[in-house]
Amino acid sequence: MSTDTPHDAREQLIELAAEFYDQFAEGDIPEMTLPTRTKSNIEYDESSQVWVYGDRTSTRSANSVRGARKLLKAIYTIDFLADQLGEDRSSTLRELYYLSESWDNEEAQFSDQDESNQLIEDLEIVSSVTREDFHMRPEESGATLMGPLELREQTRRGERVIHCQEDVGEGGYQIPNNPDTIDFLDHDAEFVLCVETGGMRDRLVENGFDEAYNVIVVHLKGQPARATRRITKRLHDELDLPVTVFTDGDPWSYRIYGSVAYGSIKSAHLSEYLATPQAEFIGIQPTDIVEYDLPTDPLSDSDINALENELEDPRFQTDYWEEQIELQLEIGKKAEQQALASRGLDFVTDTYLPERLGEMGVL
Amino acid sequence: MTSLQSTLGDEPGIADELAANQREISIAEFFEKNKHMLGFDSGARGLVTAVKEAVDNALDATEEAGILPDIYVEIKEVGDYYRLVVEDNGPGITKEQIPKVFGKLLYGSRFHAREQSRGQQGIGISAAVLYSQLTSGKPAKITSRTQSSDEAQYFELIIDTDTNEPEISREETTSWDRPHGTRIELEMEANMRARGQLRDYIKHTAVVNPHARIELHEPSDSFKAERATDQLPAETEEIRPHPHGVELGTVIKMLGSTDSHSLSGFLQEEFTRVGKKTAGKVLDNFRDRYFGREMAWEPTAEDEIADAVSEATTNKAAEAIEAFASGIAEGVAARDHLAHHELEAIVAEIADGIAAEHGTFGETARQKAVEAGWSAIIESREGECYRLVDAATSTRKDEATIEALSQRIAAKFDDGRHRLTRSDLEEYVARAADMTQERDDVAVGETARENIVAEFWSAMKTVPDDVPLAREVASDRNAARDLVAAMRETDIIAPPTDCLAPITDELVEAGLKKEFDAEFYAAATRDAEVHGGDPFIVEAGIAYGGEIPAEGSIDVMRFANRVPLVYQRGACATTDVVKRIGWRNYGLDQPGDSGLPNGPAVVMVHVASTNVPFTSESKDAIANVPAIEDEIELAIREAARELKSYLSKQRSIAKRRKKQDVLATILPEMAEKVAEVTGRESPNIDAALARIMNNVQVSRVTENGSVKLLVENHSNTAEDLDVTDIVSTEPSDLSAGTVIEMDGEWFVKWSPTISAGETASLEYSVDGEATFDLDVSGVETAKLTVEQ
Repeated sequence: MSTDTPHDAREQLIELAAEFYDQFAEGDIPEMTLPTRTKSNIEYDESSQVWVYGDRTSTRSANSVRGARKLLKAIYTIDFLADQLGEDRSSTLRELYYLSESWDNEEAQFSDQDESNQLIEDLEIVSSVTREDFHMRPEESGATLMGPLELREQTRRGERVIHCQEDVGEGGYQIPNNPDTIDFLDHDAEFVLCVETGGMRDRLVENGFDEAYNVIVVHLKGQPARATRRITKRLHDELDLPVTVFTDGDPWSYRIYGSVAYGSIKSAHLSEYLATPQAEFIGIQPTDIVEYDLPTDPLSDSDINALENELEDPRFQTDYWEEQIELQLEIGKKAEQQALASRGLDFVTDTYLPERLGEMGVL
Repeated sequence: MTSLQSTLGDEPGIADELAANQREISIAEFFEKNKHMLGFDSGARGLVTAVKEAVDNALDATEEAGILPDIYVEIKEVGDYYRLVVEDNGPGITKEQIPKVFGKLLYGSRFHAREQSRGQQGIGISAAVLYSQLTSGKPAKITSRTQSSDEAQYFELIIDTDTNEPEISREETTSWDRPHGTRIELEMEANMRARGQLRDYIKHTAVVNPHARIELHEPSDSFKAERATDQLPAETEEIRPHPHGVELGTVIKMLGSTDSHSLSGFLQEEFTRVGKKTAGKVLDNFRDRYFGREMAWEPTAEDEIADAVSEATTNKAAEAIEAFASGIAEGVAARDHLAHHELEAIVAEIADGIAAEHGTFGETARQKAVEAGWSAIIESREGECYRLVDAATSTRKDEATIEALSQRIAAKFDDGRHRLTRSDLEEYVARAADMTQERDDVAVGETARENIVAEFWSAMKTVPDDVPLAREVASDRNAARDLVAAMRETDIIAPPTDCLAPITDELVEAGLKKEFDAEFYAAATRDAEVHGGDPFIVEAGIAYGGEIPAEGSIDVMRFANRVPLVYQRGACATTDVVKRIGWRNYGLDQPGDSGLPNGPAVVMVHVASTNVPFTSESKDAIANVPAIEDEIELAIREAARELKSYLSKQRSIAKRRKKQDVLATILPEMAEKVAEVTGRESPNIDAALARIMNNVQVSRVTENGSVKLLVENHSNTAEDLDVTDIVSTEPSDLSAGTVIEMDGEWFVKWSPTISAGETASLEYSVDGEATFDLDVSGVETAKLTVEQ
């Protein structure tokens, strides 16, 4: 799915514009066909073991006002991206939204950032070029990783060789927006541990967990950015490292695990490129809440709703998840990662993680 | 009290004194004091009312004689007074009648007739005469020439208010250039402040009387409404009252004066729409009320009946008893359910049947057999009661409660023939339910009780007893009351409508077209309904757009029996109904969702009836009678629906036009940009544009769980479509197409063929929230616009 050079990505975009051109020239009404991006239209792809879009498609056609506006915006965006790639520059999704304000045609301007974000996703799908290769990046700074890994990053200011324990501060190595600019050089890692919250990540680093167990600790920062998921996948695929995910014990955190392992609904077209189906969930599991008698909060209505939705989500239809989710609905409680601190600050690194990782056969 | 009486007693003369002052008040005198009741409360108003009464009379007279009306109205200032002249080309009035028609209040031919006419009470024109003599002191001048006579009669008269009799001051024969007709000249204190209403009245009269030629000359202006059709309104027939609309007092009066002997004859003779069959139905309902019904039980085993009967039969030969008992038992066993009177009939039949062979079974023997048989039959009544109570109550009632309740009800049916009226039955059930509530501590609510009563009542049978004769009912108030109730509850077809002359929806539309330069017209004429024994028909019309002013609220034109109602708009049922309709539904703006809507529209409502219920004698406003209001509402809604579809079509055309405008700007810009990005010449987009403009549009309207898919074919050829709507909940009430369920989603499939320029729609209902995914094939995608 990835393209090698900005030049290729540019070619793909112009190809797309040429398709519109040909449609016009043949007297057809320009249109763009996309997979329908809903929960009901994702299906499990046996060969790649990830969830991808199904067969249902929807068409953006210029024969309705809405459709015509969408396509006009698309062609303006294509123009912008082609220029950007031609000059080898990059911009953020938010910049694109504001930039549209400067376009001469008011009809082509975006009404909100969701619209421009979605259009970029549409273009990714129809052109088979990733956003990163369009040189579009998200606003938030990338997440970090920390561990016995040496890599080489292609930066705008030349190549840098970095060891992700020795050459970085406490904050760790900042994952770039396009992790495909990285080459892995060497490592002593045993496995990868993705952590949801910053507090827990800092706890693991402070307790020297990465050194003690040769772990690459990846900070997910909530719902992980694409770059974070991409690098996790590469760590698994290229270095053959087991990947584990450590989050809070609530429905929203299960979705974080879901997007690491199975891919998200919004970017199911990139699942093959972003998802790590082999990723395993450490916890906090509902069974942990019971076993370790963790301090809890009651489930709110929206939590219960989310859990029930997950039971219907094709991605979570495994025996393991059904059992865990049903247990959680039964006990009606949720717990945060930090709840482990109720047993002492070292409990997580000395007891919980070794026990869980042992059970999972990672240690 | 006591002290007051003694005081009164001390002055023996006071009652006599009071009595001396008490006297009969003449109707004329009463109205002299209550002019406003007749619409003569001010000079301005009085003039309009006088014109209205004279013109109404003229129209009625000409139509009755089958003459196309030609009416001339003139208003002139004469010194301090106004002089009103109204002339018609009617059949004229005979010399003897003239003074009574114009000089006597409450004199008329139509008050007693059940027939649609403009005037009814015979008050109007004589009230105008009265008003004129009271304000100007001048007599009314009347000229009338009947069709056959050479000369015309001329009268000058006033009304003697003490006696309500005409007082003729001049009477002579005169010549008149009209071959026949009537002319009335009144002088009265008046002013032209109500000129607007006067013009409205004439104009609106012209709308609903397209067959009339009306000319109005007033001091500053003239107005002429030409005849638009030579077709007179359908002649109306007088009808007898309808059983659904007569009151108890009227029925008693009718019973007293009828020539019919039997009730059935009375019903058939005195009422419309009652034949032998209907009379039978009414009488069955009457029997249920008057005599009550008899409970029918499931019979016990045949041999038990036979045993019981043979045991009760004595002094007969053994084989006679055997034949009698087994015959009865067989007859009983042949029925599923049996009431007392049915048992009596069986016993009588068997007794008569075997009389030849076994000798007579006398009255006593028969009675004994019935008693014995009945006792045997009602043995099993608890089971029957249980079945009925169980069927009537919700499944939530437990068995013990049903058992207790049914046993208590069964216990109420003890001796006798189990004949009871519905209120007796209600009493039985109520007592049983109360007892159950008290003893067993379970609630038996109102609904449950009503259901049980209904279940039992329908299991009970109408008795065959002979109904009383007409004259017997006339003197028995309760029986008469039961008869009226029975008449009301029987389904009887609506009264004939030939006593009514609706304008008809086409002529309503034509009338509106004549008077209003609008862009859209709709009209509806409802079927006849009944109120108070009088049939009525409601018609409504709507004119929209064009020259009708768009600012402010819409105009409501009200008509009763083709007479425009110009005053007391706020008190009229018509206005109330217009106000409470939710006009937003029909595409008109209605601030606050009630009240008169705003917009360029005129709504007209015509109520035609043999007796229009007005709020007062001045006949300005229709009274709030629910049956009439309902019909007014339905008529308006019927016309409004047409307006709605017109407006939504207009809107869809406007939307389409807007869409074309937008696309016509967006597409060239898009083509320009595409050319720029690809570095080629601008492509020719004409073909693509042409396709978009000739497209097929599929859109969805979802409203409170009802879903409507509209397919509009804007192309020049017929299109065959396959429409598939994937719905997340189960759809019901499909107007077309089929549903297939697959994996918790419902596929609604519909394959319409739509000719060029036509629209087709598919409707269905969904429960609660649902999501949809619409897929349309069969039409080139380029020509297709789907709005999800």
